[in-house]
Amino acid sequence: MVDSAQSTVVGPSILVNGNLQGDEDLLVLGRVEGSINLTKTINIAESGIVKAEITVRNAVVSGVVVGNITASDSVEITEAGRMVGDIRAPRVIIVDGARFRGAVDMGDMEAPRASAPLPARTTDRPAMAKSVKAAIPASTSKASTPTPPPMAKAVPVAKKPMPPPPPPRKAEPPPRAAEPVAVPVAANKKLKKKVVVKKKPG
Amino acid sequence: MANTVIGSSIIIDGEITGDEDLVVQGTVKGKIQLKESLYVEASGKVEADIETQNTEVSGEVTGNITASDKVELKTQCRVIGDIKAPRILIADGASFKGNVDMDV
Amino acid sequence: MSDTACVIGKGIQIRGNLSGSGDLVVEGRLEGHVALEDHIIVEEGGTVVADIETRELTLNGKMSGNINANERVSISSSATVMGDIRAPRVVIEDGARFRGNIEMEVPLPDNI
Repeated sequence: MVDSAQSTVVGPSILVNGNLQGDEDLLVLGRVEGSINLTKTINIAESGIVKAEITVRNAVVSGVVVGNITASDSVEITEAGRMVGDIRAPRVIIVDGARFRGAVDMGDMEAPRASAPLPARTTDRPAMAKSVKAAIPASTSKASTPTPPPMAKAVPVAKKPMPPPPPPRKAEPPPRAAEPVAVPVAANKKLKKKVVVKKKPG
Repeated sequence: MANTVIGSSIIIDGEITGDEDLVVQGTVKGKIQLKESLYVEASGKVEADIETQNTEVSGEVTGNITASDKVELKTQCRVIGDIKAPRILIADGASFKGNVDMDV
Repeated sequence: MSDTACVIGKGIQIRGNLSGSGDLVVEGRLEGHVALEDHIIVEEGGTVVADIETRELTLNGKMSGNINANERVSISSSATVMGDIRAPRVVIEDGARFRGNIEMEVPLPDNI
């Protein structure tokens, strides 16, 4: 008999359909559908398929995951991993070769914002003075520093809308950018739509 | 080791199906359907209808057990439910309440 | 990087549209819209607030904006990135800060 007291394994031919919860590591070689709630690590091996809402401390995805993962520590999608769904975790690692579609939320962070008017020294230049954003008064002093003013704090748990889009284009892009190679900004907006699971053979 | 183990702190509420052995040290509620053997260890609790080839219970089972080969109730186990199997072994010290059907 | 890489140095700020071919290294600050055909590297200390279309993008610094890369986007451990990414390959190193959507092709098994 098996005496590995503290590790749960779902073997390659096993399907678990329902809610799974516990305080130990879980290795999925087979298939789990439903929901998974662990205080430790879930490891989805290459043969593993998980179609579930996953709440864990750590997740390592080498197999297939369709569903959202909320991890109190980290989520790693390895080279062989494939995932469609959203990830919420302070640490998210996506290795080269991994496939992922969905949103990533690492909680609080400071991302740069479009700057307010440039400092006096540089605004003297005619080209700079034309900036459409010259009217925004706030945070002038920080505009020239590499460290930008902080973004509004995000609540780690709540779903936040995307941050305000970058500054609008001041002019039509030059001819080169208008070629088909370039994808217009409008196409990028599609990214904000909810993830749709598309089946792909193989 | 590709044996499937449901560890002692794990609770599964749902259905487990498969073609391999399953060791339950934790809790399973719902249904278990296997083409191989089920081992409910001393710490294991199963509240489910069980269909397997072999079932060996050292822990607790509440539910009906149907096995195509054998059901073995070990000493110290507690089983409430009906058992249907060609071979049934009940050890000294096992607690069992239910019907036994050996398809005679 | 090729010899022809354009470098936006530490003290430099650029606002506006950037387009063309050739590699770009950002050590300073870049705002606006970027459509380049080659490799863009945002160095640690560099800041980009822009939508970017490119072939390959390596982020070591800060960036906010949407990214459309036809090869690869790599977010290193020192980077902070906010925005949506569409690329065939996206790499996020441990320690990197990122928020947004990622869109890659995800081949899933038929029986999912």
